[in-house]
Amino acid sequence: MEPQSFIAIERVSKSFQADPRVAPISVIDDISIDIDKGELIVFLGPSGCGKTTLMRIVGGLETATVGRVLIGGKPVTGPDRKKGMVFQSYSSFPWLNVIDNIRFGLKFRDDLDVAEKERRAEHYLELVGLKGFESYYVNRISGGMRQRLAIARTLAAGPDVLLMDEPFGALDAQNRDFLQAQLDVIQRSEQKTIIFVTHDVEEAVFLADRIFIFSARPARILEEVRVCDILPAERTLEHKESEVFFRLRNRILGITRAQALRTEQIMMGASPVQ
Amino acid sequence: MRSSAAPAPAGNSEAPSAPPPPSIWVSLTSFRGTTSRKTDIYVGVAGFAILLALWSVATYFEWVKINYLVSFKVVVIRLYGMFAGYNADHSFIEDIAFSLYRVGVAFLLSAVMAIPLGILMSSYRIVNGLSEPIIDFIRYLPVPALVPLTVVWLGIGETSKITLLWIGTFFQLVLLVADDARRVPREYIEIGMTVGAKPRAVLRHIILPAMLPNMVDNLRITLGWCWTYLIVAEIVASNSGIGFVIMQSKRYGKVDTILAGVLVIGIIGLATDQAIRWAHRRYFAYLR
Repeated sequence: MEPQSFIAIERVSKSFQADPRVAPISVIDDISIDIDKGELIVFLGPSGCGKTTLMRIVGGLETATVGRVLIGGKPVTGPDRKKGMVFQSYSSFPWLNVIDNIRFGLKFRDDLDVAEKERRAEHYLELVGLKGFESYYVNRISGGMRQRLAIARTLAAGPDVLLMDEPFGALDAQNRDFLQAQLDVIQRSEQKTIIFVTHDVEEAVFLADRIFIFSARPARILEEVRVCDILPAERTLEHKESEVFFRLRNRILGITRAQALRTEQIMMGASPVQ
Repeated sequence: MRSSAAPAPAGNSEAPSAPPPPSIWVSLTSFRGTTSRKTDIYVGVAGFAILLALWSVATYFEWVKINYLVSFKVVVIRLYGMFAGYNADHSFIEDIAFSLYRVGVAFLLSAVMAIPLGILMSSYRIVNGLSEPIIDFIRYLPVPALVPLTVVWLGIGETSKITLLWIGTFFQLVLLVADDARRVPREYIEIGMTVGAKPRAVLRHIILPAMLPNMVDNLRITLGWCWTYLIVAEIVASNSGIGFVIMQSKRYGKVDTILAGVLVIGIIGLATDQAIRWAHRRYFAYLR
């Protein structure tokens, strides 16, 4: 028997039945992925392909029609603080200020006393570079700061796995670069397992240990790219200018472009080219 | 001579000064223009002034027969007389107090019942499924049509009056509250569930604060509806309340008293509405 991986996505399929008169729509088709502890995995694929749905199944926010997900050997049955989520929008609470948003991640941890909660809130506040902004409400900080705040709150809850759903998708290019670099630093210091969903190829290559390229709906894994074998584990923005990075990016772009085209055809009702 | 501001020296200024702010008139009349809060207040007061001026002009030149529309001055004098003197066996202040009490109790009752039920309707399909059709059914019944039934069942005391006001507001409010709760972004709820909050904690610490600003707005609007049913409720064999004063004056054709009563209801409505708006701005500043 091979040693069990930390997260095991075992032959997961998902279909929706929107209308009982028509056949159910298949969103995810028989996907299996094994993820080790501390890995940063990117799900890359066209919008609406089912990559977010698969991530939500890992998070326990949706259920698989067929198959199952194991984390640490235990099947996922629902959401809990061991599986933290970072969303693209509505990622923090507008009625709380920065520090209270981070404290919210610790609010339901009965295993910690007040002093320890306070210490951790401070720690994550500093980790994401929001020191000095404690009393700011969400509407007074920038989009990039909001996403860092969401990361801090999610980490404060003490998750085993971080699920990030296009968290930098709404940011401008400079901010996105900066946050990608910061996420890399955070991941190395916190040693979390991360599943990161994006349709941005450059972002995927820069962040990932491994990229899983998804097909158009129903989602299948087209290819697994082991970026960790090509680029060093510790990355800076300079790597984005290297030739290796370029070549890898272009190769993946070629695959995703073809998929995006197919998704368009499916969305427009044309029969997919097999 | 279009502008009093000094024109910029032609061509060579290094740091061009900011263009002068558009005149108040321009910002008031441009499509989707913005104005300061102060300007809004002035304009609001001006609206009332125009209405009063039209009223005064109409009565001064006797465009309308005196039996139908008395002058503003007469109404003010009558109002003073009502506050100073006595009407039936109690003062007008007591009439106002009765009306405030009825609206207050009925509205409080509506809110206290509608807020939890509305939130539960949005949270559990079973609660929604059982209650929504019934609420929709009652919601479409005109309140005056229920007057005979409340009199037969509850008599002519305070209970039936408050019940009528309650029917008029509760069934509207509960659906609005349910809608407010449903509109809380899914992300907020999922953030809660992924930091370890149980459903009760999600309701208390996420859904309630997230929906609160919209709910306060809906409470403000339904409070207005509650006042509109006051007249209906106070027709029911009442001998007190602003509605009663208005209905009784109708019998004797006392237009001045009718207008005075209407004026008082309007002023109370405007004052509470503004107070709630002010509180909204103050406590939900994080939205702006």
